[in-house]
Amino acid sequence: MIIIASYIFYGWWDWRFLILIILSTLVDFYVGQQIFKNLTDKNKSKYWLWASMAFNIGLLGFFKYFNFFVDSFIDAFSLFGHELQNTWTLRVLLPVGISFYTFQTMSYSFDIYYKKLKPTQDLIAFSAFVAFFPQLVAGPIERASNLLSQITNKRIFSYGQAADGLKLILWGFFKKLVIADSLAPIVDDIFVNYSEYPASTLILGVCLFSFQVYGDFSGYSDIAIGTAKLFGIELMSNFKFPNFSRNVAEYWQRWHVSLSTWFRHYLYIPLGGNRVGKLLSIRNIIIIFVVSGFWHGANWTFLFWGGLHALFYIPVYLMGRNRIYADNVIAENSWLPSIKEIAQVILTFALVTFSRIFFRSPTLTASFEYIERIANDFSYSPYQHPMGYRMVDFYILIVLFIIYEYLIRKDERNPFKFKSPTVRFAVYTILILGMLLFYDDGVNRSFIYFEF
Amino acid sequence: MKKLIIKCFLYIFLILIVLEGIVRVFHLYNEDPPRYIDEYGVEKRVPGHQGYAVTGNRNQNFSEFQINEAGFNSEGEFEPTSDNFEVAIVGDSFIEGFHQDFYSSTGKKINAQLPDINVYEYGYAGYDLANQMHLIHSYKAQFDLIDRIIIYLNYESDLSRGEYEPNHDRINMLKSIKFKIRDNIKLLAYGSKIGILEPIKRVALGKAFNEPKSGFKTNTLEPSENEQIKIDKERLNNFENLMDLYGFDRNKTTILLDSGKTSDSFLDYCKAENIDIIDFSSAFKNSKKPTTLIYDKHWNNHGRDLIAEEIVGYLKKKRTF
Repeated sequence: MIIIASYIFYGWWDWRFLILIILSTLVDFYVGQQIFKNLTDKNKSKYWLWASMAFNIGLLGFFKYFNFFVDSFIDAFSLFGHELQNTWTLRVLLPVGISFYTFQTMSYSFDIYYKKLKPTQDLIAFSAFVAFFPQLVAGPIERASNLLSQITNKRIFSYGQAADGLKLILWGFFKKLVIADSLAPIVDDIFVNYSEYPASTLILGVCLFSFQVYGDFSGYSDIAIGTAKLFGIELMSNFKFPNFSRNVAEYWQRWHVSLSTWFRHYLYIPLGGNRVGKLLSIRNIIIIFVVSGFWHGANWTFLFWGGLHALFYIPVYLMGRNRIYADNVIAENSWLPSIKEIAQVILTFALVTFSRIFFRSPTLTASFEYIERIANDFSYSPYQHPMGYRMVDFYILIVLFIIYEYLIRKDERNPFKFKSPTVRFAVYTILILGMLLFYDDGVNRSFIYFEF
Repeated sequence: MKKLIIKCFLYIFLILIVLEGIVRVFHLYNEDPPRYIDEYGVEKRVPGHQGYAVTGNRNQNFSEFQINEAGFNSEGEFEPTSDNFEVAIVGDSFIEGFHQDFYSSTGKKINAQLPDINVYEYGYAGYDLANQMHLIHSYKAQFDLIDRIIIYLNYESDLSRGEYEPNHDRINMLKSIKFKIRDNIKLLAYGSKIGILEPIKRVALGKAFNEPKSGFKTNTLEPSENEQIKIDKERLNNFENLMDLYGFDRNKTTILLDSGKTSDSFLDYCKAENIDIIDFSSAFKNSKKPTTLIYDKHWNNHGRDLIAEEIVGYLKKKRTF
């Protein structure tokens, strides 16, 4: 049932790309068995692992990065005075979710290679693991050791789990429809017309983008996790209130967790992690951040964004503070955060938000012009919403959102942890009312991370 | 499973009840006074309705309407006599004025400057020139007593047909059970107004799955010069046809228009045929304040002030009262 639903779900977007998922499934199913068969022969198993990587990265490379490399190659030649005719770039449509499911199938091969998993003999279950529809197009990127075993095991309906799933779906919809979608027209307007706006508006634009992208992506993840719960499957948490991070290292333990753990397990640790001396560890940090940036898109802006995060992360690492917040949240044992914590959160938010100028701008030139306008022409004038809405509504919305997230900061899996059913009912009603009040038919509702 | 389904239904039901209450208490829904087609085939509102029109993308525009005995949104009744000087303004939603309180309409603004005259506003959302001229023709006795008729013409949308046909289908649709339910459940009326029901409707009708995948809007091409000439010619033909069918008293009928949105050939035609026009184009262009509402194209209070000034200026110039 899961596999039929998943293929219908994906095929609705474009049935032709189902072939890719099926191909990726078959290749990794076979490769997984070959790796396992040859585990005693290190060379042979490595050969099969490389085959899996070549196939999956080849798929990604062709559909996502081919034009980028061709364009960059031509640009590099033009720097030396050789003008090449661009006849190689292809008009290829990027298959939705390709970056997510290829990473998921690769994790299966890696886990078998590292002897953390035995390959499954059940092709149907493996197909369901690759194409599981709630998280197929935008994650969380699951590891086979977590998801595959849940698919193969017999699942029994649990009222508590399903109810928790529905709650997460509601919370996810609120973040998507109210936070992300209502901020989208403002952010789009500011980033498109940045040359006409004063510095104050540009700062506002990138700050709101921080909330937009968070609402959009974490909203999707919550809907995916909630939907999976209805099927009795527990997906990993993807967001753990990253806006309350006290340093950049903590931020990466809370933002897009499934991707950062993927890179940690399958790239950072195999490269030696932090066991190879300071210098090589720094190299490894730079590699995972740049690759992570490149994973987001075939554009120099993403590479730069990744590089910038490496730059923010390295000092935290060198000071030995990269794991100190791994097991606790802001104001762990008190109602309110300390002044120091508030300052840390503001600084981390400012750094991350600054980097998002590169994440959101279409080109590096546009990013630098955006920053230059803020730095050189600092002026203030009130911003008028492009569709005539009152801006104060959005400011109040964001403040209330931050306060609410602060209240629930200790458990991202349970956004409505109130003992009183009346309070819970009131919160549900307020969220749905918010969706009605902030709904706008004219807004483009596509998810940002569908592009990656 | 059963427990979950029952609880879900219960919660959804209770939430809907609470939301219905909130929508009613804060009057978030728009009231649309019922429409009908009278014995002359004229489409209008059912007399005697009072209420509030709620417009704007955040429901920020809240205005009171009052439908008079003639079936139009107006403070007073339309009772023209041969003794008084009366002006009729005939038009679409801009004249109907559901974006303003009925007691501060364009007509009232004219009245404030010219207290000796009576201004009647025959406005109805969706009227084009065919509706307007059919109305004047059908209520000939009443309009004969009116001393000046001002027709608001939106050149780009009001001249698409050369003869009036009452739209019974639309009126019947609005009277259907589906629409009655929508009008009585205010949450549904509100949801329908903000467009939140559209995705559900599209899914229900299977349309959601046939939409273009990219979500990009296609180009809208401007008509070429030849095509524009053809369109202008067709509009002019429709105008002539309407004048032939319903009559057009050049001595007392004036067209209110924005010349910036009207073709030169139509303006030349009016000049050649001695048809008076009131052109508010320059008044709007020169205005330092916005003349339309920020969320749609209807005139705001300042826009209505300017329109009233233009009409008052015209009436004073004509000195017909």
